[in-house]
Amino acid sequence: MFALVNSFCYFCTLIIKHCMAMSETKDKDILNSLETSEYKYGFVTDIETDTIGRGLSEDVIRLISEKKGEPEWMLERRLKAYRHWLTMKHPNWAHLDIPEIDFQDVIYYAAPKQKKVLNSMDEVDPELKRTFDKLGIPLEEQMALAGVAVDAVMDSVSVKTTFRETLAEKGIIFCSISEAIKEYPELIKKYLGSVVPYTDNFYSALNAAVFSDGSFCYIPKGVRCPMELSTYFRINAEGTGQFERTLIVADEGSYVSYLEGCTAPRRDENQLHAAVVEIVVEKDADVKYSTVQNWYPGDKDGKGGIYNFVTKRGLCREGAHLSWTQVETGSAITWKYPSCVLLGDNSSGEFYSVAMTNNYQQADTGTKMIHIGRNTRSRIVSKGISAGKSQNAYRGLVKVAKGAENARNYSQCDSLLIGDKCGAHTFPVVECHNSTAVLEHEATTSKISEDQLFYCNQRGLSTEDAVGLIVNGYAREVLAKLPMEFAVEAQKLLSLSLEGSVG
Amino acid sequence: MQNMVAVSSSGKVGSGRWSLVADHDAQIVVEGGCRAEIIIADSDAVVKLNITVEPNALLSVVHAVTAGGTTTIDYTLLEGASCRVTEVVLTSSELNISARLDAPMASFELDGAFILTGDERGSVKVDVAHNVADCTSRTSFKGVASGRATGRFSGLVYVAPDAQRTNSEQSSRNVVIGDAHIDTLPQLEIYADDVKCSHGATVGQMDSEAVLYMRQRGLSLVDAKRLQIEGFVADVAMHSSISDTAERLTELISAKLETL
Amino acid sequence: MLKVENLHASVGDKEILKGINLEVKAGEVHAIMGPNGSGKSTLASVLAGNEKFTVTEGKVEFEGENLLDLAIEERSRKGIFLGFQYPVEIPGVTMANFMKLAVNEHRKARGEEPLSAAEYLKMMREKSAIVELDPKLTSRSVNEGFSGGEKKKNEIFQMAMLNPKLAILDETDSGLDIDALRIVATGVTRLHTPENATVVITHYQRLLDYIVPDYVHILYKGRIIYTGDKTLALKLEKEGYDWLINDYKEE
Repeated sequence: MFALVNSFCYFCTLIIKHCMAMSETKDKDILNSLETSEYKYGFVTDIETDTIGRGLSEDVIRLISEKKGEPEWMLERRLKAYRHWLTMKHPNWAHLDIPEIDFQDVIYYAAPKQKKVLNSMDEVDPELKRTFDKLGIPLEEQMALAGVAVDAVMDSVSVKTTFRETLAEKGIIFCSISEAIKEYPELIKKYLGSVVPYTDNFYSALNAAVFSDGSFCYIPKGVRCPMELSTYFRINAEGTGQFERTLIVADEGSYVSYLEGCTAPRRDENQLHAAVVEIVVEKDADVKYSTVQNWYPGDKDGKGGIYNFVTKRGLCREGAHLSWTQVETGSAITWKYPSCVLLGDNSSGEFYSVAMTNNYQQADTGTKMIHIGRNTRSRIVSKGISAGKSQNAYRGLVKVAKGAENARNYSQCDSLLIGDKCGAHTFPVVECHNSTAVLEHEATTSKISEDQLFYCNQRGLSTEDAVGLIVNGYAREVLAKLPMEFAVEAQKLLSLSLEGSVG
Repeated sequence: MQNMVAVSSSGKVGSGRWSLVADHDAQIVVEGGCRAEIIIADSDAVVKLNITVEPNALLSVVHAVTAGGTTTIDYTLLEGASCRVTEVVLTSSELNISARLDAPMASFELDGAFILTGDERGSVKVDVAHNVADCTSRTSFKGVASGRATGRFSGLVYVAPDAQRTNSEQSSRNVVIGDAHIDTLPQLEIYADDVKCSHGATVGQMDSEAVLYMRQRGLSLVDAKRLQIEGFVADVAMHSSISDTAERLTELISAKLETL
Repeated sequence: MLKVENLHASVGDKEILKGINLEVKAGEVHAIMGPNGSGKSTLASVLAGNEKFTVTEGKVEFEGENLLDLAIEERSRKGIFLGFQYPVEIPGVTMANFMKLAVNEHRKARGEEPLSAAEYLKMMREKSAIVELDPKLTSRSVNEGFSGGEKKKNEIFQMAMLNPKLAILDETDSGLDIDALRIVATGVTRLHTPENATVVITHYQRLLDYIVPDYVHILYKGRIIYTGDKTLALKLEKEGYDWLINDYKEE
């Protein structure tokens, strides 16, 4: 089965490598910031810095595992992944210009960061506060996100407890992955790595070896999770680290809506993020996974910013349904393809995406829909928006395996270009091994026309508002898939991310 | 078929009809302002043809791939040049077409089909590069694969920075029959904003209601399906860029469809 | 209210308006007629501030202020409304949202508070009734999939929402059947008050059966070559433009 999944590397033969001048100084800056960011917080005192140092080795992995108090079997898994990673090469098939990363110059384990606690909102960076206000984030959450001591205004502990109780009543497990490894070893042994094995790709192998922490969520049979797991998540948004690992298991007939990330800008010191998200959707279960990604994109000259290299995949059993929705506006480089393996008969997958790039951002994102079961359905709606000097690529694979009778896919990939210095690219692959499949792919490219701007201006809207309005209209179909409160924030976020792109 | 003259490995061609046997590499220049037709006869060799269409010339090309082999045809279009190509692939082969639109007001159109049966494997690659502003291109390729055949269409439309007012369409429509396998990769790479680019790809079966309708009128299921597929691919032949080759192409396609 | 003096405007190297003089006072209705390509739509676009055109000479004053210094949206907020000949489609942006933003921008410019959702809905209901616009259309994307008649009704609906001082209606009658024409024209007439003014650009006299103009101007080759009252329109309907143009040529 995973042989099929792996076929994405197939792309490498198809891509015309695009080279954007990226100066050496920029490479250095990135490495420098990798260094400084890690040094800033340093190691916990009881670990001897000189014995670990930078870089990756079996010793480092043993140490990570030990620090986290993991059982032996987990360490074995990490080591296996590491040994495999050593045999792999950094992939280069994406339409991205990635400065070479020296993996031996990265520190793979840093103690949980001590955030500086601020006493009031007055101490928060005014730029950050302005963004919060524009996004309309409630004050309590602003404080939590900015690292103000929230207890003064909101008893976060009790809120947390209430959530926990409600979830526990239903038998829902929602905790950190480290906790789950200790508390629920059988579930972890069964599911971790079952959808994204360490052998899958370079970054999934790296993640499997060194993952720092992440979330685990288990919804028991027939249970409908009574709340958006986002609500909980947002209030408890802690620095989850650069090698995040998420595992969601929706048991038979269950339902959960999960929201990752936050519209608020994440101030993260790590340059490289290589997360893995695995979702197991058992028979007749339904999972909705929404992402709003607004990490630091670098400045307007393309300096700094986060590299977001993520592997996200869900496995759908019979009659299961998985829906990915993403709004990507942040990161200097985004590289991810949330995918659905439609293994069971009558299962279905959806992917709705808005990816916006501005300034020097690069995004290579899309999805893979692997139809294996009979009567499987998938739908892809991707809206790319490129502005400034950015490059935005949709890359997708729709694969229909031999036995996938009556598979259906509809894909729509639209690109909107703002300005003449950016690029919009579409690289879909359709592979069909079954004669009963019906697959459709459509793509269009458009720009915001002068006529539209004139019309809006004539009705009294400023050009900036008009562009925001038009972009949101363009992305509406996808935004409508987000949970309500986030849809509103995401709309504002799109307008905000475009600031300065229209003259 | 008057004025039919064979083209040797290199040289200039003017107005009139030319035939070219694709069994060796060739460099052909279509002289500015003239109207030329080239009928390419297939061979099983590995060949590369470079065809330059000079300003304001109009070139029509018909090529039926019947012998196999690997054929690469690179078109370079100069200002105001226009090129219409019909490609019909009827056997295992590799066909690579590229069109470089190097000067304004150039126009490239390609209509093609592949029909593959049995164990045949065919690959068609069409790369269109809009290197300057104000050019148009249209690519429409249909694929039919039956038996255990494998067909692959890979298209790329590249729009260079500043190639504004590009107008480009690309479509790939495919039908899979039996245990056959088709891949399609319709790709866009765009670096200019004032452009109209669209592409579409479908893989599917033929409309089953039409088949029912035909059967109700007494056709067998097999015949109804064949008729339908013939309708699907035959318009490539009927609209051949050199109109009096339509009949010959239709015959070739019909004969091939018999083997489905 | 509006004072246009010796207005010249061009697109690229081509001069389209070659010295327009026009004065519109509150309470007046002006009709601008003329053969195709005479510059009627250009005049409307230039007054609205379309940056495609460059004003090379002349002055335009609106309520004593130099209009040419203002951006398109500022002119709109001052009370200039352009009814478009070809209303543009904006996919995904609902009419209701679009107008809400526009109405509130206008209110902001006047120093007023934004409307509450309830007030806004009430206003939309009232105003859409003026042009018999199907209220369902306001939940659809701006002009997307609207019929020709719906698009024009929608323009007048927006005019009602924004309550302009000066409405310039560019070929609002084109592409309308007789019922739609009556609805649109009645809408315009109902919105007309002694405090505002309307400039109707049209090809045909038939619109002027409903919207009775105080002045009729004939625009030809970028100049107003003749101004008369409403009887001029009737004469044009019967005799065409030739007699005027010929006169002009002889001059």
